[in-house]
Amino acid sequence: MAVAETNNIISPAQGRPSALKRALSDGRLVTVLVFLPPALLLFTLFVTLPLIEAAGYAGYKWSGYGDPTEWVGMRNFEILQKHSAFHQSLMNTVWVIVASCLLQIPLAMSMALLIYRKTWSNTVFRLIFFAPYILAEVATGLIWSFIFDGDYGVAAMASQALGGEPFFPLSDRTWAFPVVLFVVVWKFFGFHMMIFIAALQGIPEDLTEAARIDGAKPGQITWFVKLPLLKPAIAVSVFFAVIGSLQLFDLIVPLTNGGPSNSTHTIVSYLYTFGLTRLKVGFGSAVGIVLFLITVAFAVVYRNTAMKET
Amino acid sequence: MAEVRLNNLTKSYGGVEVIPPLDLTIPDKSFSVLVGPSGCGKSTLLRMVAGLEEVTSGQITIGGEDVTDADPAKRGIAMVFQSYALYPHMSVADNIGFALKLAKTPKDEIRTRVKEAAAILQLEDYLDRKPKALSGGQRQRVAIGRAIVRQPKVFLFDEPLSNLDAALRAQMRVELAELHEKLGATMIYVTHDQVEAMTMADQIVVLKKGEVQQVGAPLDLYNTPENTFVAEFIGMPKMNLLNGATAARFGGDKVGVRPEHLEISSDNPIVSGEVVHAEYLGADTIAHVQSAEAGRVVVRLDGSHPLQRGSEITLSPRPGCLRIFDANGQSLGAA
Repeated sequence: MAVAETNNIISPAQGRPSALKRALSDGRLVTVLVFLPPALLLFTLFVTLPLIEAAGYAGYKWSGYGDPTEWVGMRNFEILQKHSAFHQSLMNTVWVIVASCLLQIPLAMSMALLIYRKTWSNTVFRLIFFAPYILAEVATGLIWSFIFDGDYGVAAMASQALGGEPFFPLSDRTWAFPVVLFVVVWKFFGFHMMIFIAALQGIPEDLTEAARIDGAKPGQITWFVKLPLLKPAIAVSVFFAVIGSLQLFDLIVPLTNGGPSNSTHTIVSYLYTFGLTRLKVGFGSAVGIVLFLITVAFAVVYRNTAMKET
Repeated sequence: MAEVRLNNLTKSYGGVEVIPPLDLTIPDKSFSVLVGPSGCGKSTLLRMVAGLEEVTSGQITIGGEDVTDADPAKRGIAMVFQSYALYPHMSVADNIGFALKLAKTPKDEIRTRVKEAAAILQLEDYLDRKPKALSGGQRQRVAIGRAIVRQPKVFLFDEPLSNLDAALRAQMRVELAELHEKLGATMIYVTHDQVEAMTMADQIVVLKKGEVQQVGAPLDLYNTPENTFVAEFIGMPKMNLLNGATAARFGGDKVGVRPEHLEISSDNPIVSGEVVHAEYLGADTIAHVQSAEAGRVVVRLDGSHPLQRGSEITLSPRPGCLRIFDANGQSLGAA
């Protein structure tokens, strides 16, 4: 009886082609074999191996010359944990994230709502607002360091006009980091604005017209119709803002180089200053590992929460 | 009273006039259908009534009140869009009740009115769903519910059935006609589908290039078209227009005859030719006849009529069923 029953069952292999045969016949296997190895090779060479190496160096006291020989275990991480400048750089990075999310993105959203419609004047404004993003970050930092220079810049002109003492905001512990935040917002809001403009242009006109007929005023159309439909764009924008904030470096060096008194370092500028320029590659690798873990943790959590819903 | 009047209404985009001066009255409680080919200005006209499109000149009155420059929400109208225009992030109940929420209506009343609208449209079981979880027909009902709940004086429909399949379209046509009966409101309905116009309207307005060609009851337009455009546009298959010697026999430049008004007979023949194609629809047979003197002529015969491709037939019109047109395409009467 059991044999008869077994004979009646059609095995998957008999009933339909195996997964391998199907992959071969529809060309998927060939596609995978052609495209995957180069990508895997490049990713391994330029991402995975350096990461593993950096993780290895983090356990050494090493200047970057010769082979790392002085194994110190977790010592670099212990120094990092106790270093006040690192704490400051972490806090500063948090502040950059806060400014990006609470100032930059709302500003970008407001500007996008004002100029998303396709008119020639809006195109001009879009170009103007997007221009800072096109500028190289080092050039941006230099330009703003001149502007905020107390001897020649706009800061000098302002203090002269007001009849006060020369004012050097970038050398002032109170003002230096707010100035950095201002430049960050100025530099990157155009990028987020463009994301929102693209998303706003994708909202069907019918929806806003239906809302108008329903009695919604412009502000209510924005609040009840447009903003909810922009959620996916906002989620992407916040993701880029946070990842960008965690990687912020090029603006800091020409603006303040982390000063005064290490008060304006971000994690990356801290890594560069205390790791590379002081020839402590092992220590710098430890900072890199911490930054990598923070970034991966954020990316994983965010993609599985905020971006999953969108 | 919610009679809609368009007085000397025009619409131009830049220097291009899409609606030349136009006068039209939509009677109170009527179901008026604006029909015409693509680009004839019917949707533009509807959007001007809705207040979504600025009027270049002229006046719009609803219930005797001048609303030419009034905000869409203050015209006492509700509109159902071709795309449904449902808010995708809101539930069905929130979609239907959105206008009431904006009007700061008490929550209990919103709930009651949403339920009433949902009951009319058989949407009670779907109130918590998002639009993406509904079928096309259900979405269309939600869009209608959103209009109903505002208790407008005038309903505006902009090709609301064109995204539905043929079976659902036929069903929704009946439901809309019944809804009109039930609500007793003025409805203006835009479509390019003359079947929708014929089956639903009290009054059809045929438009061509922004100009009104004829206004009247469906059968008036069908039986007594004022020009060749209306004659050809209304009716499926369209009216045969014969010219040359055949038309001259009746004192016109063109003579029109509907496919069902022709019969195989030699009593008073106007067309003789070869059957080149026959469509057997069950109840009817639609035969395409190629005639040397009149060109292609379509005739609707009884469904049981056997016709061989290539056979020669002679067709005669039923008495009084010919429409005569002059050189400008204007009607000269019947023959």
